Amino acid sequence: MQEIIEAPIPGKILVVNITAGNTIQESGAVCIIEAMKMENPIMSPVKDSVKAILVLPSTIVKTDDKSAVI
Amino acid sequence: MDEVVRGTTAQKIEEYKRKREHILQMGGPETIEGRHNRGQMSARERIDYFFDPGTFIEIGLWIKHRTTAFGMDKRKVPAEGIVTGFGKVNGRYVVAGAEDYTAMMGTFGEYHGKKLSYTIDFAKNKGWPFVTMNDSAGARLHEGMDTLESYGWTFKSQISASGIIPQVSLLMGPCLGGQAYHPVMMDFVIQVRKTGFMGIAGPAFVKTQTGEEISLEELSGWKNHAIKSGQTHIVAEDDKDCLDKCKELLSFFPSNSKEKPPRIETKDSPEREIPEFDTIIPNEPTTPYNMHEIIKEVVDEGQFVEIFNDYAANAICGFARMDGRPVGIVSNQPLVKAGILDINACDKLARFIRFCDLFNIPLVSLTDCPGYMIGSDQDWAGILRHGAKLLYAWADATVPLVSVMIRKSYAGAHYGMLDKSIGADFVFAWPTARVTIVGADTAASVIFAKEIREAENPEEVRAKRIKEYSELYESPYPAAERGYIDDIIMPHDTRKVVNKALDILEHKEVARPWRKYSNINL
Repeated sequence: MQEIIEAPIPGKILVVNITAGNTIQESGAVCIIEAMKMENPIMSPVKDSVKAILVLPSTIVKTDDKSAVI
Repeated sequence: MDEVVRGTTAQKIEEYKRKREHILQMGGPETIEGRHNRGQMSARERIDYFFDPGTFIEIGLWIKHRTTAFGMDKRKVPAEGIVTGFGKVNGRYVVAGAEDYTAMMGTFGEYHGKKLSYTIDFAKNKGWPFVTMNDSAGARLHEGMDTLESYGWTFKSQISASGIIPQVSLLMGPCLGGQAYHPVMMDFVIQVRKTGFMGIAGPAFVKTQTGEEISLEELSGWKNHAIKSGQTHIVAEDDKDCLDKCKELLSFFPSNSKEKPPRIETKDSPEREIPEFDTIIPNEPTTPYNMHEIIKEVVDEGQFVEIFNDYAANAICGFARMDGRPVGIVSNQPLVKAGILDINACDKLARFIRFCDLFNIPLVSLTDCPGYMIGSDQDWAGILRHGAKLLYAWADATVPLVSVMIRKSYAGAHYGMLDKSIGADFVFAWPTARVTIVGADTAASVIFAKEIREAENPEEVRAKRIKEYSELYESPYPAAERGYIDDIIMPHDTRKVVNKALDILEHKEVARPWRKYSNINL
């Protein structure tokens, strides 16, 4: 079962907190999007291994852009 | 003439008992057993659980349909598939209609609808809240136009009662097709997680008309409405939980728009200080924190009944009590999408504010909001039109309005989250508040664009100018110096200060020239 993490808000990827192959906890931060005067943590809805990361720091994302596969 | 009519009094009494018992059995023991096996209650069990013992009085038990087509002349539908009446809930009168799925699957025919609309009219005329327990397989197509017309009577009745009495729909079973406008037009919808379904059409109809294949759960279940569509306010685990949550919700409401909401005794001191508030705001304005931690400390005994907790979670609204007095809390969640006001958040908050205003429930706003959401997505979807709803809601409101600016109160969010100019009676700010027209980075980049562009070291100049603008304007002081903020308060005094403001506003009255209503953006 794959969980695709999408950007909830447009902005700039500030930090990617995970690496492929590692495990992320439920509500753990996948990455942080800088937008609207805030560093917005994008959280994983599940605890699982990280299958792929689709963004890099400084990537500009739009709403619903895929940022990781868990 | 019927033999019974000519019979003895004893025979007439026996006949009455037999007929009544037959109706009270609804669809019969087997169908009721089927409900129990699926973890559901029957319509009459729901009524019994909902009302204070012995207080329910049924209206229209004997109502029968008059259809003869397609074998309907031989079809008996006990109570026309809907139990209607009134009784007391926690000592106050409430009117209810409970659809009975065991009686011809609770289908909505002419007299089913007549019972429902009559009961809503009754509730409106008495000034008592109305609750529907939805559980119906849909339109009774055997009755043709009589069914269709009956939907309209129901809609007209509930719309006529809107703003006069609180109306709550309990989505305990299916409610699909045009009938679903009934729950959606009530003030609040509580949906049972596994058994409640709502939609403009069910999966079979969708497939024949559009080719889309989708399950009932995916199309019409709780996730759709409580998370995506914003049409379910509260999700319940089962029938009992749904009825309990409805009773809790009603406890915040007056019976009608002419009354004040019921104030209760509380052991929580109105002057309680909250020392944690003095350290709760992160040093960096870009660091989020959980607004729920502030809300639950401000209100009585940590009791907060959130509305739409899964929908547009960047905004928060719900009912609580302050010194025993019901209040509506309106706030932002910095943890989700920076706590911005996007289209869904505006719709969510505006309707909540208008409900509170209609039913004399004071509003307290706790603000940390960077603004309305900008960018092509939201602009093209009409953020201005939807954002305007929030401005209308505040400006039209006549209940006590108290605003506490906790951190960001920038730009449109300044009035979108309630400030003096849009109608607040009192505005308080924490020393951590940043009350200004735009953030320093934006302002400095505009004002000093030429200077930055032509500088030898543009980034150094930009940083210097941002710092200057921030020190001058990103605080509560410029707004307080002009009187836009009544007082800058210690965070630990928030509960005490808000309670005092609400005490002062207890008898607030607003006189305005007559008009039909404002032309709110829809």
